Amino acid sequence: MTERPRLAFVVQRYGLEIAGGAEYHCRLIAELLRDHADVCVFTTCALDYVEWKNHYPEGDTVLNGVPVKRFKVERTRDILEFAAASARVDRPGPTPEDEEQWMDAQGPVSPALRDHVIAEAGAGTYDAIIYFSYRYWTTCRSLVPSRTPAILAPTAEDDGLYRLALFRRLFDAVTQFAFNSVEERAMLEGAMGRALPGEIVGVGSDLPKTTDGAGFRARFGIEGPFLLYVGRIDLNKGCPELLDFFLRYKAETGSNLGLVLIGRAVLEIPRDPSVHALGFLEDAEKWNALEACTALAIPSRLESLSMVTLEAFYAQRPVVANAHCAVLRGQCRRSGGGLYYTDYDEFREILTLLEGDAALRARMGRGGHAYFQENYAWPVILEKYLRLIGAARKVAA
Amino acid sequence: MSIEIDSKEVDVRKIMAGIRDRIAEKKRGLYTDEEIREIAERRLDAVLESGHFNPDFLKEFKTKSDVWNYRFDAETIYRTSRGGAASLLGKLRSVLKPIQKLFWNPTPMIAALSRQSDLNQYTAQMLHNLTLELTRLNLEVQELRARLKQTDAALDELRKRERALESLAVLKDDSRPSA
Repeated sequence: MTERPRLAFVVQRYGLEIAGGAEYHCRLIAELLRDHADVCVFTTCALDYVEWKNHYPEGDTVLNGVPVKRFKVERTRDILEFAAASARVDRPGPTPEDEEQWMDAQGPVSPALRDHVIAEAGAGTYDAIIYFSYRYWTTCRSLVPSRTPAILAPTAEDDGLYRLALFRRLFDAVTQFAFNSVEERAMLEGAMGRALPGEIVGVGSDLPKTTDGAGFRARFGIEGPFLLYVGRIDLNKGCPELLDFFLRYKAETGSNLGLVLIGRAVLEIPRDPSVHALGFLEDAEKWNALEACTALAIPSRLESLSMVTLEAFYAQRPVVANAHCAVLRGQCRRSGGGLYYTDYDEFREILTLLEGDAALRARMGRGGHAYFQENYAWPVILEKYLRLIGAARKVAA
Repeated sequence: MSIEIDSKEVDVRKIMAGIRDRIAEKKRGLYTDEEIREIAERRLDAVLESGHFNPDFLKEFKTKSDVWNYRFDAETIYRTSRGGAASLLGKLRSVLKPIQKLFWNPTPMIAALSRQSDLNQYTAQMLHNLTLELTRLNLEVQELRARLKQTDAALDELRKRERALESLAVLKDDSRPSA
């Protein structure tokens, strides 16, 4: 065994333009391990996550000091085919053919990437290969039993897909899991009916050196207290419910709370003077907004980790989360940094409580910050990954 | 492992339990009796202060409740409030009562006014209860309207989703090459 481990990452997309999700998570971890291991990334040429169109040039490149090898996507995703295949696996008792067709429809289909990863794994070029997101073709077709230990960061959401027989075979081939949360681990272990090797790791964040909440208010003309939402403004993220609940809360209570939305909107936002949709902003403005806000809203029901929740914890701002998401509920309880709602009544009571109790907000902020430092600070994440890699190499030996 | 322990700084479960208790309390009658009384009083003020009423009526109604809230019995018309001479005057009126009755019969008037005083109190009590009940019903209607709106919105979303899925199915059929 060499002193400095040789690691490869496999992920469906990789690039500086991708500012969220498992791909961003993967990039942060690859850049974290860059100084402690020889790392490289195998990915596709896709940037667009809907059709997986080739965008980046094929071949080798270096991003933030990390060597990246890109492979072409063979065919774009046919949305109609994918919808039909999803409907088939959504029904009880899908056949193995249904599952295989769904995976092929899901993509990104890149046989060149698959062949390269399988060949490298078979040759034992790397001490471990770290795969991100269990649900994509790139992981599912490349992660096969081999002499190279496989570490999987599943980034699984509670959507039931992980119960497909297809993934049971995949999970059986994994040497160590890098879970995002206690809930994710329990969910996958429940589906597999056995304990899975690995540990709860998660990810840190690109922390700002300074923040400027007052400047943010001045630049965007925002006065008074406000609830912040950061992310894609989308039906799947629970945004229509958030907007509905927020406007109803305003009408019923006469509160002067505003709602600031940061992110690309893919649905119509109601015109109301208290709702400020600022569009996509740079990372620095997100941190400024976190400093300026009263609380952060996370209305999504399906989250594997929610990096912005962790960022709010770091920024000492309480989180108002959707209680239907077990991961968010767990994070709020463990940190003391957030409250969660199942319906409008709870949403209203939580906002009333937080708006009126600055001392509680401060205590929640401290709780969240301490939780972040204890579990998601970079030294902690690094230590966990090095431990996982060590454990995987031991199993393979 | 530290990640599995609930926070010591803030007991989120306890706060959430408190929030749910408050909601349950409100849902039992939507609002607590205290809140309904408070809201009902505000509404009564608003009605009584409107242009249809004497602007001083509310003030008098509240400060001079004896104007309507009085007792009237058989002896009320013979009583006096004139200090030391009151007892003597009362006795004189009692003595002259039979003579007075030769000129007119006060009994029906005493009975009517006595009934009226009782009626005033019943009416005030009933008005108070009705206002409370009306307020409670108004709040219930508002709550139901809001829930209906929410259900409608959810139904709309479901319909949109259904239509989208149907159109996908149609498009899929259309995209098949003809035999």
